[in-house]
Amino acid sequence: MSNFPQLIANGLVQGLFIAMAALAITLAFSIARFPNAATGDVMTAGAYTGLATQSATGSLILAGIVAIFTGAAISLAADRLVFRKLAGRAVVASLVASIGVAFVIRAVLGVTFGLSQLVYDIPLTRAKLYWGVRLTPLDLQVAGAVALALALVFGILHLTPIGRQMRAVADDRDLARVSGVRPERVMLALWMISGGVAGLAGMMLGIKTVVEPELGWSMLLPAFTAAILGGIGSPGGAVAAGLLLGVVQEMSTPFVGFNYKLAIAFAALLGVLLWRPSGLFGKREGVR
Amino acid sequence: MSAYLIAITILTLIYVLLALGLTLQFGLTGLINFGHVGFFAIGAYTSALLTLNGWPVGVGIVAAAVAAMLPALPIGYISLRLRDDYFAIVTLAFSEVVRIVVTNAREWTSGTQGLPGIARLYASLNGAASEWAVLGTILAVTLLAIWMITRIARSPFGRLIQAIRDNEVAVKALGKDPAWFKIQVLAVGAALAGIAGAFYAHYITYIVPDQFVPLVTFYAWMAITLGGASRISGAVVGSAILMVLLEGSRFVHDFLPMISDSAMASVRIGVVGLLLILCIVWRPQGLTGKRGDA
Repeated sequence: MSNFPQLIANGLVQGLFIAMAALAITLAFSIARFPNAATGDVMTAGAYTGLATQSATGSLILAGIVAIFTGAAISLAADRLVFRKLAGRAVVASLVASIGVAFVIRAVLGVTFGLSQLVYDIPLTRAKLYWGVRLTPLDLQVAGAVALALALVFGILHLTPIGRQMRAVADDRDLARVSGVRPERVMLALWMISGGVAGLAGMMLGIKTVVEPELGWSMLLPAFTAAILGGIGSPGGAVAAGLLLGVVQEMSTPFVGFNYKLAIAFAALLGVLLWRPSGLFGKREGVR
Repeated sequence: MSAYLIAITILTLIYVLLALGLTLQFGLTGLINFGHVGFFAIGAYTSALLTLNGWPVGVGIVAAAVAAMLPALPIGYISLRLRDDYFAIVTLAFSEVVRIVVTNAREWTSGTQGLPGIARLYASLNGAASEWAVLGTILAVTLLAIWMITRIARSPFGRLIQAIRDNEVAVKALGKDPAWFKIQVLAVGAALAGIAGAFYAHYITYIVPDQFVPLVTFYAWMAITLGGASRISGAVVGSAILMVLLEGSRFVHDFLPMISDSAMASVRIGVVGLLLILCIVWRPQGLTGKRGDA
């Protein structure tokens, strides 16, 4: 029952999904300065469009590309049509509007794909033992794909000119502007990356579990927790905290039971907010 | 038809009670409570469980208000230390934890099977008379709540919470501690939600955890955003429009039979989302508010 290496491995796989969702949230926060509650439903959109692509063409690679583009397109559209109009208003305006965006996405998906559970058509594979830990090849493939996507995002952020500009705008928009960075272009790129990450995360989660209308929404609380735990606005922190939260949730199941896993995320959230609101890896903030 | 109208009015008043709590918490004080349904659920389950175990309905409703107030105290305490957006996330998480607990504490709540056979109010009266009596009671409670919040808004206490909303630092600089005021405001709003939950449980007579999803919280948010968050009339107007939309969508089915029930459920969510967005972008002060009301 309490096979700890196994729980850690399961937790890391779970943590990868939390990490990607938290990364999407933290990237959007770093430019738009509000926690985007529509992130979960962007994930759901990625899961559904990926599934539709896979059943139409049979190609998972193509499905992944479609999921990424769907997420990016939805995020861009939401920014253009809603969030940009609310820039400069109180944070509650964007926050409530993002709930509205989430509901609209869910409604469109519900009308298009129905409300029943769907699964990716992937051959079942037998779990193998790796150093005493039972994992399916699918687990490893999903984990590999997620790791690759994360590497790509960090590559863009740290190795390309646009990535440097993104970090500059996230750090201090006015300073970036006077240094000759055009925030407009940078925000466009960041919304696209944030949406693309969310879309791909949703598809991967859909492959690992089932595709259903609340797939992304139910990831929202762990993802918010990880984003805050990692220091909001810090991509590396979000990923590290996501993995940590995945492991902590999984390790807690022998003690609190499977059903109360989400409550662990809530307890972690409260603990972090009370004792270290700037996150485990974040710098101290003046305002919290 | 009149039975239907009575039923709709009762449900509208339950939403008015929920929305009034948010008017007090957000409209007047600026607290972003995204977990309202959690207090509603606590009220519903408290009263249902008490009456199923033989207590009178009146006791159940009072206990519902008290039980819903209890978590408001620690949450209010936490809120003192958090940014607005973090407080929103914490309250949302709180309501999801409430739902997880009532789903999994099967020995008390029978989990996803729910609690059937909850006592009705005025069960001794027959049919229509009992419906009218229920309506009258909820109406009286709602009017009492409106009167109370109006009094609060005009009192020194009300001016202080509105000052907290507008500029918390200035309030602190005047030597007032916003902490205790926020806790009281949260507790009063939670009690209203608890009472609404108790009325809901005794009116529907059957509760399951699925009735207490975050969507309910955002129904109430839509009502106050649409009606006008900082005005008490906003909660009433918004709730009425909300109910027309929710109920109206049932009739759409009669005219457009090709739309399935599940598609209709999605359309309902979409309409709520769209109205939230439209209100916030184009008319942040709501229908009843004046320009500049925020």
